[in-house]
Amino acid sequence: MKRLVLGALVLGGSTALCNAAEFQDPVRLKAGDAPVRVESPGYAAPCLADLDADGKKELLVGQFQDGKIRVFKHGGGEKFSPGEWLQAEGTVAHVPGVW
Amino acid sequence: MEIDDDGHPDILSGSYSRMEQDMAGLFQVLYGNPDGTFRKAEVLKGTDGQPLIIPIESRDQQTENICTRPFAVDWDADGHLDLVVGNFSGTFYWFKGEGKGKFQPKPQAVKAGNQPLRIQGAHSDPFPIDWDGDGDLDLLSGTSGGGVQWAENGAGKGKLPELRPFQWLIQPGRAVEYGGVLKEEQLTGPTTSTRVWVDDVNGDGKLDLLVGDSVTLVSPAKGLSEEAFKKKFAAWQKAYETVTKEMSQTTDQAKRSNAQQEFQKLYQRRTEFMNEDRTGFVWLYLQK
Repeated sequence: MKRLVLGALVLGGSTALCNAAEFQDPVRLKAGDAPVRVESPGYAAPCLADLDADGKKELLVGQFQDGKIRVFKHGGGEKFSPGEWLQAEGTVAHVPGVW
Repeated sequence: MEIDDDGHPDILSGSYSRMEQDMAGLFQVLYGNPDGTFRKAEVLKGTDGQPLIIPIESRDQQTENICTRPFAVDWDADGHLDLVVGNFSGTFYWFKGEGKGKFQPKPQAVKAGNQPLRIQGAHSDPFPIDWDGDGDLDLLSGTSGGGVQWAENGAGKGKLPELRPFQWLIQPGRAVEYGGVLKEEQLTGPTTSTRVWVDDVNGDGKLDLLVGDSVTLVSPAKGLSEEAFKKKFAAWQKAYETVTKEMSQTTDQAKRSNAQQEFQKLYQRRTEFMNEDRTGFVWLYLQK
């Protein structure tokens, strides 16, 4: 999973869409006024789930660093509140074997 | 996802590898409590009491069972959640579920015809969903190189999926050579190492995509102009290519050791002229 330093980056500017769906141009999800982002070395893994049974799905974003998961409350539509680290048994949760 | 059928949502995750000589990306579950809190991550075990692991026959196949990515879904339409899992190499397996969070220990390969289903690129990232609205589960996936792919299911509702090879749903963007300045405001879409989630985000009845990525933002070190940065990077890259060539070509142990030390020093010297911010974002594609 660790990336080679001299690997190629990819910009999404010329994203082409194919087959079975058409999409609007991609936008970065924001939490409050700031884009949702993960710690170094990156690797954002998003998920939507209603964790607190309030009828609205929270945004969970897993990351490589320490295997931590950030939870963002859903404000409706594409709006999310600033996030907090998922807790487990009173401490910040982490998934072993992720780094 | 609710893994154990107890009415409380659980969080399921893959992992890169356990910290043992025998590598394997175990599956981890943070089980939900009745009060909405979560327990610490626990290794998901099969009905044999052993950690669920994609089996391999030799270390040559290591990429088949590291960097795992699970998704709990009733894959074979028998009423129980199964696990569809991805890995480093870009293939997929599924562990048959028996209900209440129990899974058989030996997975089956997910195939397209007689061949293992494989994404273009590495890091398979399964998201099973009826993407084309015909009543059966298709399979979407992110990939190491970026973009989103999908495999259409031709089996029909209530049957074990029969998937066609992957095709692009969203093509990766254009590649950019490492070494140029890349600012956050220049980003216009997901980059590499995409992870996909599907849901109707804006409530218009159409499925949308959330795409996580990984990107290294690059900027000149403090006080350095972009032009000066480019010159310093070009010189650094030349030295980098020289030392990596030495490392790969020499068979002399002492020379190889020296070259490795030079490589380490050179690698650290990047920080003298460039800042690298390795991060990742979550992109939303709303379906029209």
